[in-house]
Amino acid sequence: MNKLVNSQRSRWYSLVVPLLVIFSLLLGACQAPAAPAPAADAPAATEAPAEEAAAPADAMTTIYGTKLPDDAAPYEEQVLHLACDNGSSATTFDFTVAVYNRYCLADLFQDTLIDLDKDFNVVPASAESWEVADDGVTWTFHIKPGLQWSDGTPLTAYDWEATYRYAADPEHAWDFTWFYAGVIKNWDEVVAGEVPVEELGVVAVDDLTLQIITKDLFPPLPGMMKFSFVMQKKAMEEHGPYYNNDPATSVSAGPFMLESFEEGKKIVVVANPNYKGFRQPRLQRLEGIFMSTSTMFAAFQNGEIDEMGYGALSPADFELVLSDPVMSQNYLRHFGDFRTDYLVMDTYTEPFNNLDVRKAFAHAFDREAIIKNVYTEIKALPAYSMLMPGFPSSDVDGKLKEYQNFDCDLAKQHLSDAGFPGGEGFPKLEMWLRGENPTRMAVYQAVAASIAECLSVEIEISNKDRKVYMDALNADPTQIVFGAVDYGMDFLDPVNMLGIWLSTGRHSWKNDEFDNLVIDAGKIVDDPVKRDQMFREAERILVDDVGGIFVAHEWQGDLFQPYVQGDSFREPDSNGVSGQHWGNDWIWGNKYIAKH
Amino acid sequence: MARYILGRLLSLLFVVWVVSMITFSLMHAVPGGPFDEDKQPLPPAAKANILRKYGLDKPVWQQYLNYMNNAVRFDFGIPYQQPTTTVAELISHTWKTTAQVGVMTLLLAFTLGITLGVISAYNQNSWIDSAVTFLAMLGVTLPSFVLAILLIFIFAVRLDWLPMRGWGDSACLVGNYFCTDWILPVIAYALAPSAIIARYTRASIVDVIRSDYVRTARAKGLNERMVMVRHVFRNALIPMVTVLGPIIPDLMTGSIFIESTFSIPGLGKFFVTSTFNRDYPMIMAIAFLISLVWGLVYLLTDIAYTWIDPRVRLGGEGG
Repeated sequence: MNKLVNSQRSRWYSLVVPLLVIFSLLLGACQAPAAPAPAADAPAATEAPAEEAAAPADAMTTIYGTKLPDDAAPYEEQVLHLACDNGSSATTFDFTVAVYNRYCLADLFQDTLIDLDKDFNVVPASAESWEVADDGVTWTFHIKPGLQWSDGTPLTAYDWEATYRYAADPEHAWDFTWFYAGVIKNWDEVVAGEVPVEELGVVAVDDLTLQIITKDLFPPLPGMMKFSFVMQKKAMEEHGPYYNNDPATSVSAGPFMLESFEEGKKIVVVANPNYKGFRQPRLQRLEGIFMSTSTMFAAFQNGEIDEMGYGALSPADFELVLSDPVMSQNYLRHFGDFRTDYLVMDTYTEPFNNLDVRKAFAHAFDREAIIKNVYTEIKALPAYSMLMPGFPSSDVDGKLKEYQNFDCDLAKQHLSDAGFPGGEGFPKLEMWLRGENPTRMAVYQAVAASIAECLSVEIEISNKDRKVYMDALNADPTQIVFGAVDYGMDFLDPVNMLGIWLSTGRHSWKNDEFDNLVIDAGKIVDDPVKRDQMFREAERILVDDVGGIFVAHEWQGDLFQPYVQGDSFREPDSNGVSGQHWGNDWIWGNKYIAKH
Repeated sequence: MARYILGRLLSLLFVVWVVSMITFSLMHAVPGGPFDEDKQPLPPAAKANILRKYGLDKPVWQQYLNYMNNAVRFDFGIPYQQPTTTVAELISHTWKTTAQVGVMTLLLAFTLGITLGVISAYNQNSWIDSAVTFLAMLGVTLPSFVLAILLIFIFAVRLDWLPMRGWGDSACLVGNYFCTDWILPVIAYALAPSAIIARYTRASIVDVIRSDYVRTARAKGLNERMVMVRHVFRNALIPMVTVLGPIIPDLMTGSIFIESTFSIPGLGKFFVTSTFNRDYPMIMAIAFLISLVWGLVYLLTDIAYTWIDPRVRLGGEGG
């Protein structure tokens, strides 16, 4: 009996003791080391200090004293629910901290210097006016008086000066420095650490006067100021650049301010009672709910969110939307950022160093059929050039179509002229894709299959990791012989969209005439007709010399619940296109919830 | 036994070290970095600034030594994806949720799986056995994210019985525990492992139930419950533990699909986002975590053998 008890006791200890040892190791491993002094508190479900909001006079009046439209729900019901992608990697609300890693509901805590109206015209926002000096490089922006931060501090030109100095600071290592490279005076030198930030060509003359000095003549500068997101100098100094991640330290000069932030769960912003800008919101609150893109449409159908972007709609979802009498009326398509999908080639090496080969490929697939049957017309239109119709200097009349239209016989002729009759001897190609979603993959598969069939060549598709792709594309020399990519505008000027095709840009194609036209046109200040002609000729050269093979111009869009109203997006622009236009931030002062 | 455990722990440390070297080498061999050049290439000076900021301007071997020097002090650095916290804080914060999901899933999977497996084995070749086999096949073949979407559509959208997302944000039984928003993700996550458990339980029990000693036990007049508990189940446990043990670390380290679909703020998403974003500190920490968890579970499995079967000796102990 004793032997049995001892044996049981021994087995008991042999199990418990090791378990205790192992769990204590685990607990020790889970001990967090002393954290470095954070610039801001770690994100947690925290609440903002209570603000003394102005109490609305009645149920249909906002805290700014403006009356809601007659069909609006009472002010207390002006709450918009949005979906935030829980798979995205976000670290900040601020553009100047990390452009590509912003939380949803970012860009609501400030107004930029300018805004864009529905027709993409540059209009005042935080700056009430601006002008360029006779030297052509000194731009002066006059800040609207009376603007302030949510803590009552005046919004001044010194905030912009501090923001731009932070952006250019080599210690910050901003991921968007390329945007101002070669534009703002001393930008490149400051980024390289060659001159101090104080010598940057962004200067606060006084509280209400900001000067931006460009390196050379640069007429599109006002449009570029669509990205002039400002941060509060005081908050940056006291709490570091992540001050907006914590409601306790967050300050806003925009229409909304951060009320609560639960990482991975919910973001809540409320109307900023101290906001004095151009877009005082009708909505009293926005709630961003984190969810997977695969469940966003279900959440929309369930009434849990009030609007969603087209990117989260699968082809099956789209079919459902377009066949539903209510949803189809509330899916509003718009230009977005005038994004164009196109094929790229290494024109410095075989086989694409031969113009006939490039022309053969350009004429070898039917864009119209692919758009109709694969992409669908709700999402794209066929592209024969870089600039989407509607973009300044774009080919709206179809004059450039002949250079890359579908003509299989002509394509075969070009391939034969290149020395590959019937595709004989043509090397097998691998078409690199940039981590594409299933829809774009299907489009490029159709393109590759069409080219292969027409020219009797072999093309394989390889959908690469996005960073692997970009690393290969940007390498010098490029490592991508043949691939597909897309680009959307950064500001509304042909120098932006055509600028990526410069020999100093990201593509392996060089044409001196094209370069000269784009660079010279970009500097023209006082002759818009000549400027326009030069850009059009440059684009003609691009398509004729087949620097790229253009596939589709993308339509973007948003699906709204019927009760989400506002003529900023419900009413069409001068092209007859409605929807939430890129850069038109006035939307957030116009949108409201109707009675339902 | 103590010497054996110590030896296993030391060898685990060696394994973790090898894993760290392989992971570090591989992640630096992959093109790209913790910066985006989606639109236009970064100017060389800007790129150099970013590399210097993340310590990536040093030789790879030096970066590794610096990293390991800090890691042995449990300082795993700052995640690029959330620079206002530390890797250790981020993992301990998110793993808590992932572990909750894992524990609930384990409880459901083992309870359901073993129950179904026993029922199936006891009613071998009957319609009950066929039904359980069919369910098991369904569980193994149906991807968890497909089941997740289906459950959401039926129970959250159509019937509106249960929340479609969240963890601990809905009505709960005890504080923030045992909440209604736990139900759908746990069911979706538990189906596949419960199917596997059911199948292995059935096979293992069927094998043992035919043994001579079981027949002898019955012949001696032992009641059926005692036969099943004392003889059948106990002996069936060893092969089951071998196969089912690895399910535990698998569930405890999270599912990107389940956490993403149900918007559970756990560790799962970082397995994928860290790789895509080249978040090197997080990648390394996750590699450490996984190798540690798997190593410890295998050790616990081996120790469990000795408890289940006294004849089993570890590490050359005398019999």
